[in-house]
Amino acid sequence: AGGNGNGGEAKHVLRVAFNQDINHPQAQALTELSDKLSAATDGQYSLQLYTDETLGDQASTIEQVQSGTIDLSVVAGSLLENFEPDFAVVNLPYVYDSPEQQMKVLNDPQIMGDLYDAVLDDNIKVLTAYHGGVRNVYSSKGPVKEPADLKSQKIRVIGSDTNVEMMKLMGGIGTPMAQGEVYTAIQSGVLDGAENNELIYSTLSHDEIAPYYSYTKHLMMPDYLIASPKVWDGMDKETQETFTKLLSESVDTELDLFAKAVDKAKAESEKAGAKFNDADVDAFREATKPLIDSKVTTDRTKAIYDAIQKSRG
Amino acid sequence: MIDPLAITLVLVGGLIVLLAVGAPVSISIALPSAVAMFMILGVDNGAITSAQQMFRGANSFALLAIPFFVLAGVIMNNGGIAERLINFARVLVGRTPAPLTQTNVIANAIFGSVSGSAVATAAAVGSTMAPMQRREGYDRAFSAAANVASAPTGMLIPPSNTLIIYSLAAGGTSVGALFMAGYLPGILWAIACAAVVWVYARKHPELKGDPRPSFGVIFSTFVKALPSLGLIVVAIGGIVAGFFTPTEGAAIAVVYSLLLSFAYRSIHVRELPRILYDACRTSSIVIFLIAVSGIMGYVMAYARLPQLIADALFGWTDSKVVVLLIMMAILLVIGIPLDPTPAILIFVPIFLPIAISYGVDPVHFGIMMVFNLSIAVISPPSAPVLFVGAQVSEARLEPVIRHLMPFFIVLIGVLFIVVFVPEISLWLPQLLGLL
Amino acid sequence: MTAILNGLSRVLHAICVALFAALVLLVVWQVFTRLVLNDPSPWTEEAARFTFVWVSLIGIAIATGEKADVVMDFLVEKLPRSLQRVADIIAYLCTLTFALVVMVFGGLHQVTLAWTQTNPVLPFTQGQLYLALPISGFLLSLFLIVHIVGALSRAYVGHIPQEDEEAASL
Ligand code: NA
Ligand code: NA
Repeated sequence: AGGNGNGGEAKHVLRVAFNQDINHPQAQALTELSDKLSAATDGQYSLQLYTDETLGDQASTIEQVQSGTIDLSVVAGSLLENFEPDFAVVNLPYVYDSPEQQMKVLNDPQIMGDLYDAVLDDNIKVLTAYHGGVRNVYSSKGPVKEPADLKSQKIRVIGSDTNVEMMKLMGGIGTPMAQGEVYTAIQSGVLDGAENNELIYSTLSHDEIAPYYSYTKHLMMPDYLIASPKVWDGMDKETQETFTKLLSESVDTELDLFAKAVDKAKAESEKAGAKFNDADVDAFREATKPLIDSKVTTDRTKAIYDAIQKSRG
Repeated sequence: MIDPLAITLVLVGGLIVLLAVGAPVSISIALPSAVAMFMILGVDNGAITSAQQMFRGANSFALLAIPFFVLAGVIMNNGGIAERLINFARVLVGRTPAPLTQTNVIANAIFGSVSGSAVATAAAVGSTMAPMQRREGYDRAFSAAANVASAPTGMLIPPSNTLIIYSLAAGGTSVGALFMAGYLPGILWAIACAAVVWVYARKHPELKGDPRPSFGVIFSTFVKALPSLGLIVVAIGGIVAGFFTPTEGAAIAVVYSLLLSFAYRSIHVRELPRILYDACRTSSIVIFLIAVSGIMGYVMAYARLPQLIADALFGWTDSKVVVLLIMMAILLVIGIPLDPTPAILIFVPIFLPIAISYGVDPVHFGIMMVFNLSIAVISPPSAPVLFVGAQVSEARLEPVIRHLMPFFIVLIGVLFIVVFVPEISLWLPQLLGLL
Repeated sequence: MTAILNGLSRVLHAICVALFAALVLLVVWQVFTRLVLNDPSPWTEEAARFTFVWVSLIGIAIATGEKADVVMDFLVEKLPRSLQRVADIIAYLCTLTFALVVMVFGGLHQVTLAWTQTNPVLPFTQGQLYLALPISGFLLSLFLIVHIVGALSRAYVGHIPQEDEEAASL
């Protein structure tokens, strides 16, 4: 499924681990990136995608990038917090205005360069940030329009103190659970709902068991395309420049594809019986404020947070 | 450069040679996979990647159900809980020939449908049923084989994590439709096993059914079994009612059976370390096998062996029947060393688009794949279910494998029916408007 | 030598039992915090998974020490005793190679690589959690060396054909 690249001609076929299927906007953007890269380098460089988590979950692929087993991987932003806690600042609730602003900020070396360099020690080179969707709350109980609607609802969150705390502030009970168990947990009532973007909501069929999808818009966590610094340093200057330019183009491509994919996923979920509704975003933003105050404490995180706020529309 | 042929030879040849010299089955998978990894990545990176994949293979919350159910089984046996439960089941279904083995098959279908894990089912039900069957003169290898063969039923009968993983790999096929589609094939699986047991029992007149019990006997057995039935109410009921997940239910079952055993005074606190240790050893052997098969899955994916196999095999035909048969044959073989989860993640993206181009419904394809991989999880030489089944029955592997053969033949026959009669899978979801 | 190994085996038993008991308690606690306290614990699942990996990896070392791992020796047991000895030693050496190269060498590499990588919810670094692999590999190697010495010794009895064993255990 995930293969591309130019077969025999390419001298450097970079192995890219990806945890979702080939139709995902990021995989599509990477496929296009590979074609352009190959054309621009006369077939010297191309990408070979290993989709569907075949090389392991994202945490494991980071380690493979570090050891040089694979060249590139797309990983969730929260995972880099394990290497440099300051990464947390860009994963906090209600930091961004829009996906466009998020991408502008996260791919601005002035703002992010220092933070990205902080993981070079760990053999991780951040090549670019991709938009990873807007996370919203969905529930089997009913629409979630304001924090009070989440009262005593158990909502699956990413397994970290920050996410549990965030859901508490939003009015619900944040419940970490392995993604593979969530469907049956909602179906049987162990959970009342979860929070994620429209693509995951539709792909995992959660629309079948938690049909109320509310636009709380609380999180916009980026995904990063990371490489082993060795791979990057192994390219000549010219290739690096070409690659950088194409990466920047692929960010826009991905943003565009993601928006289309969201529309498609939404339509499919509606067909499966899901109902989408707006929520009082300001109330939720206000409620999660204490989390931001408690997490943005170092000089670096303050500088980044301020820069992001300044760039809001 | 990666030479796929050399890698295939190392994996297959290494496995055969190591098994022949009597190396542990896990090592017969692990060492050739590691060697293949060294060939691709060099020794340094190969060793570290093998280590990573091994750790990752074992590091899963769903696998936790295995040691818990093994432990619950050991406690229930020591505590007399199991015996009370089975006596009760027996007065209900005891008139068929080989009643204890039939009870095992039915219990596996019920228990497996809730736990969703073939290994956990073989462990929990088998460790309870095997000692009783042994005491009553049943052939231990045969009863182990029946337990192993019927253990995967719950991978098809919902809820099923395996089907959820398929849905994910297939890019969002409806889980609800898959769940409904799994019912009939799952029930067919259980019926197939019961039929094999029935034929066997006809040839072994000593395993005749019990006489019809009086109402008084039924009643007193039921009363005696009440606290033990509580275990089912608490563990299975708790999962169904949404108090906890199957993995958590396994831990709750441990606690409940322990408390009950203390109440019956049939287990002393002093015996606990031994009981814990027995369960730990049995489950470690299985987990180690699952962990090292992670290395093999990675090597195959990295070297793109599945794509190469598919390209080589599908090139020469455009018959839907032949293509499906080749797919089923590949999955049956590949599923033996691989766990269903990596097998699904690796093969769905390759096979599903081809199947769809021949007009196969993705829901139907998911069911045939999971049915197929369910046969693979009980296939020797490398099957966690087989290991655990033989362990809890205290039977040696070779005779169990011999007795498994008739089950295989019948189940492969049922697989054919499931593959070529889509209605078996699709009728129920269509009836409910899910397709 | 044997005394030291017996002592080691007893210590490992105790560790396994303690970790296994902790594992049950962790998952029960997870249910309790969610159902009763309505405040689900964010760390229990992660803690349970790693405890489980540790129990399993130490468990496989003891199981190997007790020769409890699953083998299919129906071919080997048909061989004369002298060849059985050769087959056994080859099998032990294969396991030893895997334990040393992948589990100890590869595992230590992995530990070093992840030594400073923090875990999102546990007070250990990822590298510390990975230590289970080299430790298990080291223990496995110890037991395997003892088995190899045993296979070379005069007390080597070879494989008992299965019929005898089944009969003996009835
Ligand atoms: Na099931
Ligand atoms: Na298998």
